[in-house]
Parts: sequence; C-alpha cells; structure tokens
Amino acid sequence: MPPKSTPAVAEPTSAVQTLWKAYNEQTSDRLKFIDAFLVVLMLSGIVQFSYCVLVTTFPYNAFLSGFSSTVGQFVLTASLRSQVNPENKNEFKEVSPERAFADFVVGSIVLHFFVFNFLG
Amino acid sequence: MLSFSTFALFFLSLSSLLHAKSSDGDSVLVVVEEVHQKDFTIFFDGLKEQGYELTFRAPKDETPVIVEHDVPAFSHVIIFASESKNFARDITPQSLVELMSGGTNLLIALSQKQTPLSSLASEFSLILPPPGTPLVSFFPERKDPPSVIPIDAPASSLILSPKLAPIWFSGVPHALGSNPFLIPILNAPAESFAADSDGAADALVDATEKGGEGLWAGSQLSVATGFQAIGGARATWVGGVDLFSDKFAKKEVSKGVKSGNTQFARDVAAWTFQESRVLRIDSTTHHLVNTTTPLEQYTTNDNIVYTAEISVYNPQTSTWEPYSGITDLQLEFTMLDPHIRTALPAVPGQPGKYSVTFRAPDRHGVFKFVINYKRKGWTHLHSSTTVALVPPRHDGYPRFLSAAWPYYAGAISTSVGFFLFSAAWLAGESRESKKAKKAQ
Repeated sequence: MPPKSTPAVAEPTSAVQTLWKAYNEQTSDRLKFIDAFLVVLMLSGIVQFSYCVLVTTFPYNAFLSGFSSTVGQFVLTASLRSQVNPENKNEFKEVSPERAFADFVVGSIVLHFFVFNFLG
Repeated sequence: MLSFSTFALFFLSLSSLLHAKSSDGDSVLVVVEEVHQKDFTIFFDGLKEQGYELTFRAPKDETPVIVEHDVPAFSHVIIFASESKNFARDITPQSLVELMSGGTNLLIALSQKQTPLSSLASEFSLILPPPGTPLVSFFPERKDPPSVIPIDAPASSLILSPKLAPIWFSGVPHALGSNPFLIPILNAPAESFAADSDGAADALVDATEKGGEGLWAGSQLSVATGFQAIGGARATWVGGVDLFSDKFAKKEVSKGVKSGNTQFARDVAAWTFQESRVLRIDSTTHHLVNTTTPLEQYTTNDNIVYTAEISVYNPQTSTWEPYSGITDLQLEFTMLDPHIRTALPAVPGQPGKYSVTFRAPDRHGVFKFVINYKRKGWTHLHSSTTVALVPPRHDGYPRFLSAAWPYYAGAISTSVGFFLFSAAWLAGESRESKKAKKAQ
C-alpha cells in the first residue's frame, strides 16, 4: 500500500496504525488465528521468565520445562504459519497445508511429552 | 506366725544392710606390714562387716599376686604400706596404673618419705612437697604435736557424709595439678603448712623472707584426693595412713566428741570401691517420631527420638535402681563435630528414662548419638551409637512445589492452548471445505 500524503513525522503513530490496518485487511482469518495463539504463548513465556528473574528459579527444571514449552510451541506454531501462508507457496511446494498441520501436531505432541516428563 | 515372718523380714533386711557391697566386686587386697595390720582393725572390720573379703599381704611378699594371667585378681587394692621403700616385684607404679586401666580401684596412703608411690602420685597430677615435710599447724591450740591436726570436714561434699566431726590427720599434703579427673575430698586447714616438724617456725621465717615463695601452705592443699579414670576405676590418695588408724578413730576432737575418722574412712572406701555415686547406662534406643523400631539409617531432616535409661547403684540393696536425678545430661549428634547438642531431660513419671526429640540436620553422612557425661565424683557415662543419615530417595522429595506453580500453569496452559488451537483449526478447515462445496 502506498504511503498517504500526510508526512510520517507529523504523526508518528500513523506508521503503526497503517501497519495495523494493512494487517487487518490483508491477513486471512486463519493466519490471524495463528498470530493470536503466538501472542498468547509469548505472554505466557514473558510471565514465566519474569517470575524466574524476580521471584525464584527454584525448581529450575520446572522453569526450564515450562518456559521451553512456550518457546517450543511458539517455534512450531510459527513454522506452521509460514508453511500455510499462501504467499509462501513457492517456498514450500511439496508441503500442503494439511501436511504442515500434521507435522505441527506431531512435533507438538513430542514436545509436550518431554515437557511433562521434565516438569515435576 | 505373723510376728515370726516380720521378724525374719527384719533380719533379712538387716543382713542385706550388713552385706552392702560394691558394684565392682568384693575381693580386696590389703598391702600392709604385718606389724601394722592390727593398727587399722576398726577400718578393716568395718569393711569385712560390709561384706568385703580382705586378703592381707606384706609389701615384700610375692603372693598372692595382684595380676594373675593378665587378669587382675582383686577388685580393689588398699596400699597402707606407706613406709616401705621396697615392694615385691609385681607392685610397681606401672603395674598399679595397669590395674586401674583394668578396672581395679586403689586406695593409697602416702608417707613423708620418698617411696615408689610418691612417683606414682605425680602421675596422677598430685604434687608432693619435698620429702620429710609433713603438714603442721599450730591451730587450734591443743596438747598434740603440731603435725597431728584436726581438720574440719567440708560443709558439702559429694563423697563424705554430711555433718562429719573433725578428722584427725597426720601426714603430707599435696597440691593438685590441672588434671580434670581429680576430685578433692578433704583440704588442708587454711593455717596449716608443710614443714619439717622440728624446725617449723624456722621454715616460716625463711619463707617470709622470700615473700612466701616455696612454702606449701593453705587450704588449696589437699590431704585426701580422689581420682576417677576414664574406664571408671577409682583411686583415692590420702596423705597419711594414720587417718585410718584405730588410734585416730578413737581419739576425741574435743571433750566427749569422737573424731569423724571412722565415718570418713567408710565414706572414702564407699566412694573408692564404687559403692556410692555409681551410674550406668542400661540401654539407649532411637527411632522416628510416632514409631518404635530403631532404624539403621535416617533421612536428613527426620524427627528422631532418642531415649536412654540410666541406673544408679544402691549399695544398701546391692541393686541397680532407675535414676532420674541427672539434670544436666546432654545428647550430641555428631559427625566429627557435634551438629546438634541438646539437653537430654528426664521423662517425668518414668524413672530412669531420659528422652529428647530433635530434627536431624540437613546434612548427610555417618552420625553418632553420643552421651558423654563426666561430672566430678560420679561415674563417667559414655555411650555412642552410629547411624547413617542419608539424603531422601529419588521419590522421597515432594513432587509438586508451591513455588513452581507458575511454571506448571505455563506448561499446562500451553498444552491446553495447543489442544484448543488444533480443535479450532480442524473445525475451521471443515467449515471452509463446506463453504467450498457450497461455492461449487
């Protein structure tokens, strides 16, 4: 989308607003849904990390598993997002969206298996 | 019939009184010159009445031997042969020390002269004045020579009976070294000093010129001192053998008042021969709180109950009786150092039982429950029980910690989020495929 006539300096928030607007208009619901999940995971990770820094790292294994579950899930979800994004079709020619989702599910289940083993 | 049985009971109790015996055995070897044997009849007859079996032996006799086949042949040894310079081969300072470590009690009288026993005395941290200087005192005024002194009994004593009449003494005093196992029984009077009895006044003048240096004087000197070895054997050193003699026992302190020598000798013998102030630990046990069986290993931070049962010897009945009178007993839980040292109080209502509950330290290793009770005059109590203190087993730790709930919540919420996300994704997919079908 071409920039509008109003100068960016005069209105510093306009760039963010533009970005937000463009995102709302151009992103499919499916990708928005993935992004919402990513935000939730990020918030969860931030909460856990700040608890670890501010309160206690003990028990450390619980912190590692809790934090890495959010990070791992974030990475898997982000990969899912890039694979199902129609704009990336040329990049992942042999990966259909169904295949991508199946990979995501298997990866997540393995991740959660390790997380809960390491948690207690 | 009834009167007869009470009569019999009375006699039975009387005989048990007469046969008050030592906790350590009844055989006594008395090393004394035959000439002097009859000088101590009151003391020796008193011992025989109490049930001791006395065997007499002159200092130079070879038999009966005191150690036979490396085993002490007697439970107690009295050495009144203070004047002898030469003893039979088996009575040497070394052999007497060996006897003590074997558990034999010694009652030894010293003399003014230099004898083998004088060198033994210094091994017990008793410091003797130069030879030939007995204790002399010119107070109180009396007809007796200055070296025959009436000594007031101490107001309170662990060993002597209370309210004892003054005790006649004639012999050498000794100063006490820093040995913690020494127990002063009778101190010299404050105005007494050690000097050659002929030139006592000159000795005082000499000492005054030197500012009191070299004068053995005052109530810090002892004339009768007890010693208790680690193994429990007791030795009593008395400065002069006359203290036990019939002459001093019958001698009046003042008109109509008999001396306290007879009772003093009896009290000293009772302590030395382990009749009085004898304690023992009957049993010790340990277990977890709310259980009864002792474990070989405990876990760190366990709550452990330790119990000890202690008895005192009652010479009247020759039996051991439960004793709850110790107020300063302590228990140590040690691994090299005591990690825990706590009071071990008597359990009210259960005589002889001492018990304490404590939390094991947060430190694993091989620990010992130690009771180490050493008090002057009393038998030393020592007990040591080894247990292992181990960290919790892998499944002995708490599974979920409250501090970790944010992490648990994070992990669980991620899984739940993943599940909901997948469900919504699949639902969305089917809806889209329906739409697509409709569009077609």
